[in-house]
Amino acid sequence: MAKRILRVDMTKLEANFENFPADFAALGGRALTSTIVAKEVDPLCHPLGASNKLVFAPGLVTGTKAPTSGRISVGGKSPLTGGIKEANAGTTFAQKLGRMRIAAIVVEGKHEEDDYYLLKVTNDGTEFIKANKWSNKGLYDVYKELYKEFGDKVSISGVGIAAEIRGAASGICFNDPEGLPSRYAGRGGLGAVMASKGLKFIVVDETGAPGVEILNEEAFNMGVKKLTNALTSHDVTKPGGALNSYGTCVLVNIINEAGGLPQRNFSSGQDDRSEKVSGEVKAEEIKKRGGVRPHFCSPGCVIQCSEVWTKPGGKDPVGVLEFESVWALGPNCSIYDLDVIGELNRTCNDLGLDTIEAGDLLGVAMEGGLLEFGDGKGALKMLNEIKNKTPTGRILANGTAFTAQAFGVTRVPVVKGQGLPAYDPRAIKGIGVTYATTPQGADHTAGYAIATEIMGVGGTADPKDTNKSDLSRNLQLATAAIDAAGYCLFIAFAILDIPEGLEGVVDTLNGVLGASLTVNDVAGYGQQIIDTERAFNKAAGFTEKDDRLPEFFLKEPLPPHNEVFNVSDEELDKVWGT
Amino acid sequence: MTILVKIFGDLRKKIEGYNISDALPLNLQIESNGIDTIADILNKFSIEKEETYHLFVNGTYSGYNKKVKDGDRVGLFPKNMSLLYKWYFERNEDE
Repeated sequence: MAKRILRVDMTKLEANFENFPADFAALGGRALTSTIVAKEVDPLCHPLGASNKLVFAPGLVTGTKAPTSGRISVGGKSPLTGGIKEANAGTTFAQKLGRMRIAAIVVEGKHEEDDYYLLKVTNDGTEFIKANKWSNKGLYDVYKELYKEFGDKVSISGVGIAAEIRGAASGICFNDPEGLPSRYAGRGGLGAVMASKGLKFIVVDETGAPGVEILNEEAFNMGVKKLTNALTSHDVTKPGGALNSYGTCVLVNIINEAGGLPQRNFSSGQDDRSEKVSGEVKAEEIKKRGGVRPHFCSPGCVIQCSEVWTKPGGKDPVGVLEFESVWALGPNCSIYDLDVIGELNRTCNDLGLDTIEAGDLLGVAMEGGLLEFGDGKGALKMLNEIKNKTPTGRILANGTAFTAQAFGVTRVPVVKGQGLPAYDPRAIKGIGVTYATTPQGADHTAGYAIATEIMGVGGTADPKDTNKSDLSRNLQLATAAIDAAGYCLFIAFAILDIPEGLEGVVDTLNGVLGASLTVNDVAGYGQQIIDTERAFNKAAGFTEKDDRLPEFFLKEPLPPHNEVFNVSDEELDKVWGT
Repeated sequence: MTILVKIFGDLRKKIEGYNISDALPLNLQIESNGIDTIADILNKFSIEKEETYHLFVNGTYSGYNKKVKDGDRVGLFPKNMSLLYKWYFERNEDE
C-alpha cells in the first residue's frame, strides 16, 4: 500500500483516500501541512468559512521506532493571526496515522446544518457519526465516553466548547497514552477551524495498518541507533536528566533567575514566588500524590518529559502541566499555587482552550480590571464564562488581543495577534527576534533547534555575537525541518552537542525516503517551508510591519534588568532579507 | 557583608545539612570575604565546574570568572538543568 491522503469534504459528508502526489514524497509534518494550505487555501479567505482547510500530517518518521518522533502537525489559516498556522503535538494519534500510511487528512468545506460529526477512520475506510451528544460537554468526560464506545485501542482528536463558540484561542486536542485529553496542538485557534466545518472528533483505529514504509532499512536502523545513543547519553535528555526528572518546568527557576519570566502581564521578569511552581517542586508533589513522572506523550520516546499531575490524593488526573502552561496560568497572572494552576490547566483542557493564550488573556483581563491579579478562583470563574458561552466568555475565548481591546488594555503581549510564551524578549532578546519574525505569530517553538555551525549554513553560534538575525533565522530553519521529520524539538540538545545525533536524524529520513540527504540539506529544507509560509502570509496581507513586537516592549523597561527590546527594525528585517 | 547564593536542583545534594526533599532552591547568605568570582563560590562548596551549567549573577548569564560582590545574587544550576534556548543567552565573563 502506498502513502495516501484522506480528503474529508464536510459539505458533502464524504471522505475519500487519494494517492499521495509523487512530488510530495519528501514532505511530512509541517512541510506537508504548510504546502497543502499554501496550495489549496485562498490566503484571503475567512478562516472560519468553507474555503479554509484543516490539514493533519504526521512527521516523515512518525509511527516508526525512531525515538521521540510521535509528533503531528496541524495546519490551516489561523483565525487568531490571519496567517498560516502550524500547531504541533505529541500523541499516539500521529503514530497511528503514520502506520496507516495516511500522510495527511485534509478537512475541507463546511457542514451547513448545526450538527457536529465524528469521523471514524480505519485502515480501510471512514464513517461519519453524528456527534451532537458529545457537544457542549467537557472533554475529560467526553473522551471517557468515546473510549467506552470505540474501545481503548483508538486515538482521538477533538475540539471542545471553546471551539464550539469559534474562539480563536481554541486548540485541537489529542489523547495522551492514558486517554486523557491533554496533548494539544494548541496554538492559533485551529480548534475553531475544525468546529466551523462541523467536525468535532476524529477517531483513528489502526487495526490492519501496514506500518511506515522504510525503503532503506540499513540506513534507518543506523540512524535510530545513533540518535538513541545521543539522547540517552546527553545530560538533558537521558533517563534521570533534566527533562526526565523535572519535565519542561525545569525552566521555571532558570528563566526566573535570568530575569526573563514574565510576571503580572509582562510587567516584571522576576518574582521569587515563582519558585513555588518550579519543576523541582512539582516533581516532589507528583511523587507524594501518586501521579506519574516521568511519563511519555507517545510510545517510543526516550526523553519522557511528560507526567500526570493530579489533585491531592491522586484524584482528577490532569495530564502534563507544561512549563508554558504553568507560567501562563501562574506567574503571568500572579498566581503561585500549583493546585490552582493545575485546576486552571484542567479547565483549559476540558474546554479545548490553548493554555498559553488562556494565561495571556487572563493576564490582560486582570489588567483590564475584570478581576484582580492573583485571583485564582476568579480566573476559574472567567473560564467558566467560556463554558457557559456568555458574552464575556466569547470575548475571552477569542484570545489576548481581542480581550485587551474589549477591556481597554494597552499592554498587549501578542505578535501577529498571538499571545507570547514564557520568555520576555526584553531579557532574552534573541527569542524576541524569533517571536517577531516567525510566520506563526509569537511562538517559542519556532526557533530552537540545532546549532548553526553544525549545519554549516552561515551565521555563528557564538552567543556573544550581536547579530541576532542570523541566529534566529538558522534556528527557525532547523526547527521547521524537525517539525517536518516528526521529531520532538527536545531532541535538539542531544543533536546539538553530539554530532552523531544529527547524523542519526538524517539517516532515519534517508531510511524512510530511500534518499541520500546529508546534514547540509537540513537548512535548505527548512528554508523551503518558511518561504512557503511567508508567501502565504504576504498574500494574506502581511508586511514587514507585522514582524514587530508590540510598542510596550520597546518603551517599558522590564525589571530586574530594566531593559527594553532594542533590536532594530533593520536587524529584524535582515532575518528574511526583506 | 554577604552574597545571596541560590542553589538549584541536584547541586543541593552537595551542601551538607540540608534536606533535598525541601524542593525550593537553597538560599544561602555567604560572607563575601575572600570571594571574588563565581569560581570562588563553587570552591567554597566543593562544586566542580563540570557539575554546573547555567550560572547567573543578578540575573545575568555568567561565566566562572564573573566577579561578584556584596549584595549580589548568584544562581547556580547543575549540569542536568542546562536546557533549551541556551543559544539566546550571552555568557557574561570577566577576565
